[in-house]
Amino acid sequence: MWLSIKRGAQNFSSHLRSLDGLLGVHRSQIKIKFSVKTSRRIRHLIVKMSGQSQRLNVVPTVTMLGIMKARLVGATRGHALLKKKSDALTVQFRAILKKIVSTKESMGEIMKSSAFALTEAKYVAGENIKHIVLENVQNASLKVRSRQENVAGVKLPKFEYFTEGETKNDLTGLARGGQQVQQCRAAYVKAIEVLVELASLQTSFLTLDEAIKTTNRRVNALENVVKPRMENTITYIKGELDELEREDFFRLKKIQGYKKREIEKQMAAAKQYAEEQVAEKVSLKKGISINSAHNLLSKTVEKDEDIIF
Amino acid sequence: MYGFEALTFNIHGGYLEAVVRGHRSSLLTASDYNNLCQCETLDDIKMHLSATEYGPYLQNEPSPLHTTTIVEKCTLKLVDEYKHMLCQATEPLSTFLEYITYGHMIDNVVLIVTGTLHERDVQELLEKCHPLGMFDSIASLAVAQNMRELYRLVLVDTPLAPYFSECITSEDLDDMNIEIMRNTLYKAYLEDFYKFCKKLGGATAEIMTDLLAFEADKRAVNITINSIGTELTRDDRKKLYSNFGLLYPYGHEELAVCEDVDQVRGALEKYPAYQSIFAKLSYGESQMLDKAFYEEEVKRLCLAFEQQFHYGVFFAYMRLREQEIRNLMWISECVAQNQKSRVHDSVVFIF
Repeated sequence: MWLSIKRGAQNFSSHLRSLDGLLGVHRSQIKIKFSVKTSRRIRHLIVKMSGQSQRLNVVPTVTMLGIMKARLVGATRGHALLKKKSDALTVQFRAILKKIVSTKESMGEIMKSSAFALTEAKYVAGENIKHIVLENVQNASLKVRSRQENVAGVKLPKFEYFTEGETKNDLTGLARGGQQVQQCRAAYVKAIEVLVELASLQTSFLTLDEAIKTTNRRVNALENVVKPRMENTITYIKGELDELEREDFFRLKKIQGYKKREIEKQMAAAKQYAEEQVAEKVSLKKGISINSAHNLLSKTVEKDEDIIF
Repeated sequence: MYGFEALTFNIHGGYLEAVVRGHRSSLLTASDYNNLCQCETLDDIKMHLSATEYGPYLQNEPSPLHTTTIVEKCTLKLVDEYKHMLCQATEPLSTFLEYITYGHMIDNVVLIVTGTLHERDVQELLEKCHPLGMFDSIASLAVAQNMRELYRLVLVDTPLAPYFSECITSEDLDDMNIEIMRNTLYKAYLEDFYKFCKKLGGATAEIMTDLLAFEADKRAVNITINSIGTELTRDDRKKLYSNFGLLYPYGHEELAVCEDVDQVRGALEKYPAYQSIFAKLSYGESQMLDKAFYEEEVKRLCLAFEQQFHYGVFFAYMRLREQEIRNLMWISECVAQNQKSRVHDSVVFIF
């Protein structure tokens, strides 16, 4: 058998002393293991019994039984809620996955067509068009903004792009290629749209993945650890209470038995005393010895066939 | 002295004309383009090109070839040929050859000026310039803090100086939109070139004025179409049109008030030369206009080679080479981006 003691417990030798009495095991046979995982709220030591899941080590009183029952109800409700949350998140997850696949395909197409639009612009306006446009730019006119969206309790980031300021350079390629440059611009704006959408989908995907893992971990923890522990504790408490009751009952019965015997003894003693008194009286009256008086009395007690009246 | 060039041209220009005609015969033909269009990867293209004149320039490139490398190397070949010709030329041919590159010079200057305005690194900007348009003091453009200094320190020594002083006062330089500045400079350049060719006289004048007129008209149409719907006012638009060409002056009047592509088409249908261009496009579409213009230009440039003893062949050769490089760029991009179906959209066969 081993015990796990909460981190920060002082003076565990005193624990040992109290425990060995409780458990009926000698101190030398108790091995100590430090466990970090005990819950903050439960300040009891967790006892592991060989072959079963753990139960809390509590004082088995009725109040404690009530508390444990309340905790079990809480754990059950929490488990149901978390399971619902996990299901909702999984549904969202699948929807996002589908959208990611379709967006990625369309992104491939759009990037291809925008690269080609750039080629057309280069053909008509000269190779330098790229440098001309780049040199003329001060700061970006298309920017990306992020905001939080709440989906089933999980905060997902979402990106959207917005245009800030107007683009000057409407006159790029005035003498040749202006049209192609504008078309190229439109194609790349579309490409940016798709890319921004894909970015927000992918970040939501990752965040949701984390959230689902955490929630599932909690659900499993509740289902496989906390609830069985509670149930075992409740069973233990009930068992102890029953045993106490039985002990009490037994004690009561024993005491009743003693009392009865006492009473019988007293009654027997009283009867003997009364008999002796009567014998004394008879002996005094008749002048015989007490013994023969006793015999007389006892004979009168036993019915003599010869005596008619 | 029209008609007597045969007597004296070969004294100074004969060697270079022969050189240029030799280069012209090495331009890629339709069958070359067909082969290139069939290529699956950029390495195939490199292999095909190594059989042409571009071989020595491309053979040292490492294997994951990039489309920009191909274009760079082909441009390098053009620059080498040009420099060779420039070295061998005498007046007035050397001035003529220099005039051909002023367009690129204007582009480079504008690029560096805007880059400096936005505080970019000078070395990077220099790398992005077109090699044909480099001149010695180009790096010092980056030093100037504003336009006035720019003009005073740098531009006044370059051949571009007269263009700046004619059309732009120094106040305008600070605020004016870069594109408008670029186009105003180019307009001044075209007019200057036109005057110079006229002064040369003879077959050169005739052929070059024709080619330059087409260029000016093409620019006018493009400016009109590209400025529809923008903030460019009609007067500004008119200021950007050159003062020669088939469309001058009445066509320009009409173009200045156009608000729509169809109106432009209507204005141009009066000129039979340009009518055929617009006939290729259906109503409302203007995407392929640039390609139609390129095709027309190539036709006219090829015609320039039909005559001898004039300088137009040099101009025509440079332009044809540039078109060829554009074709190569288009083909390699289509192959690299897996859009083989669009290859024939924009390749202009030279012959």
